[in-house]
Amino acid sequence: MPTILSAQQVTKSYSSSGTDVVAVLNLSLDIEEGELVCMLGASGCGKSTMLNLFAGFTTPSSGRVLLRDRPIAGIEPRCGMVFQSYALFPWKTVRQNVEFPLRMRGLARSERRAMADFFIDLVQLDGFADHYPAELSGGMQQRVTLARCLAADPEVLLMDEPFAALDAMTRQVMQDELLRIQRQSGKTIVFITHNIDEAIVLGHRIVVMSARPGRIRRIIPNPLPQPRDIAVQTSTAFADLKTEIWREVEGEVAQHIVQSRLAGSAQ
Amino acid sequence: MTVQEQVISPAPRPIGWPDRSVVVSIGAVVAFVALWATVTGLEWISPLFLPSPSAVARAAGKLIVSGDLWRAVLASSIRVFAGFLLAAVVAIPLGISMAVFWSVRAVFSPFISLLRPLPSITWIPMTILWLGIGEQQKIVIVFLGTWVYILLATFEATRRVDPLLIRAAHNLGANDLTVMREVIFPGALPGILAGLKVSLAIAWSCVLSAEMIAARNGLGALIWEAKDWGDMTMVLVGMVSISLTVLAADAIANRVELLLQPWERHRRR
Repeated sequence: MPTILSAQQVTKSYSSSGTDVVAVLNLSLDIEEGELVCMLGASGCGKSTMLNLFAGFTTPSSGRVLLRDRPIAGIEPRCGMVFQSYALFPWKTVRQNVEFPLRMRGLARSERRAMADFFIDLVQLDGFADHYPAELSGGMQQRVTLARCLAADPEVLLMDEPFAALDAMTRQVMQDELLRIQRQSGKTIVFITHNIDEAIVLGHRIVVMSARPGRIRRIIPNPLPQPRDIAVQTSTAFADLKTEIWREVEGEVAQHIVQSRLAGSAQ
Repeated sequence: MTVQEQVISPAPRPIGWPDRSVVVSIGAVVAFVALWATVTGLEWISPLFLPSPSAVARAAGKLIVSGDLWRAVLASSIRVFAGFLLAAVVAIPLGISMAVFWSVRAVFSPFISLLRPLPSITWIPMTILWLGIGEQQKIVIVFLGTWVYILLATFEATRRVDPLLIRAAHNLGANDLTVMREVIFPGALPGILAGLKVSLAIAWSCVLSAEMIAARNGLGALIWEAKDWGDMTMVLVGMVSISLTVLAADAIANRVELLLQPWERHRRR
């Protein structure tokens, strides 16, 4: 498969209250078309920064970010973002939110309506189409965001810990849904998570990140058979892979805890 | 769907029995009017200085029957509405443009800084010279007294629109115009409407001061004429009418606010 998204020796630093912070340091990563890549790491490992770079919300301090071999300049609608904090339009109903990208694509009213209903059904929110986001729970709002992003039909889906706020059962259902959508549409997905199980269930490849500054620690191909149902999830292969990934992040997490304790006592 | 994903319903309000604070409020008003009636009835204060509530009510009744009160309320209301509408039409687009485009902000901000501290009453001499003492002058006074406040409220509200929503809209394929119309404007609307409500009260004080200085009719003129005759009863009728009219205008503004923002229904209920 050809490379669709590519980060080439990307460094991103920004100044925060006078001091320079390096969020991502010299990171290179090629993402293939149709691939589901999970970026896994503790907080502060620059995974959200990478997503913002892919979406064109920010530009790298040095290095290049390419979509189909062309540098990303400005906000890139072909890389659709599923925001962690939903970013739904509070003045639009669920249906109007999902219809928004369809209108931007210039679809006719009747077609829009049908497609919006299709995506609302897909995320199991039928019956809530005329509700406003404030009337929904966090998990439901997250699903609206996913439906809205799918309706925009981007080439790449950028997902920033989208299921973090969901309860365990809804999350399982949503993961299955996402995998089904991914298989059917062949969409490329960059999925950020700090949950190892989620990364193993979803990822074709797992990019383990290290923090401060954000770098790639290791890229682990995921050999487990699909669908990764409960039988796979309780297999020794699954446990072995989880152990392997945990060994990579273990030191990182411990260090992170020590650092935040130090920061806490310094205040 | 899990239990916690049920639509959150607002807390039920106790039914049948009115709120305790409402009862206390009504009691306080009744006590005040009783005190007023006692003080004037026993002539502790001369009726020349403070007329009794019953005298005020009788005078008001006469004015209502003759239709003079409605004409005064209507005359003032039309002036407020016209001047206020004009101010909103000018100030809202300008406020949004100032928040979005730095160049517009750079051009207008010195003038706004200079105009903001001027009370509308200081415009009265010049507007009378230019426009006379007719309707136009009143409307212009209302306009001049309110547009800066509407503009500043719009500007602040626009600047506070969540930048994440603007990003999201662009990411979903929206152009600048669509973002302006469908994200920035509705995002700023609650703040704009709050500014409009504050300005509505200011508009009333503008029109009343203009009417007191030079007008043939309206609530301000009614009070000022009564003052010339030493008729404090009529002055009080005018004052009470102003209070009730502005309260009614406020209530209408609240209804309009809710109608314009159906998505707020959940929070307001």
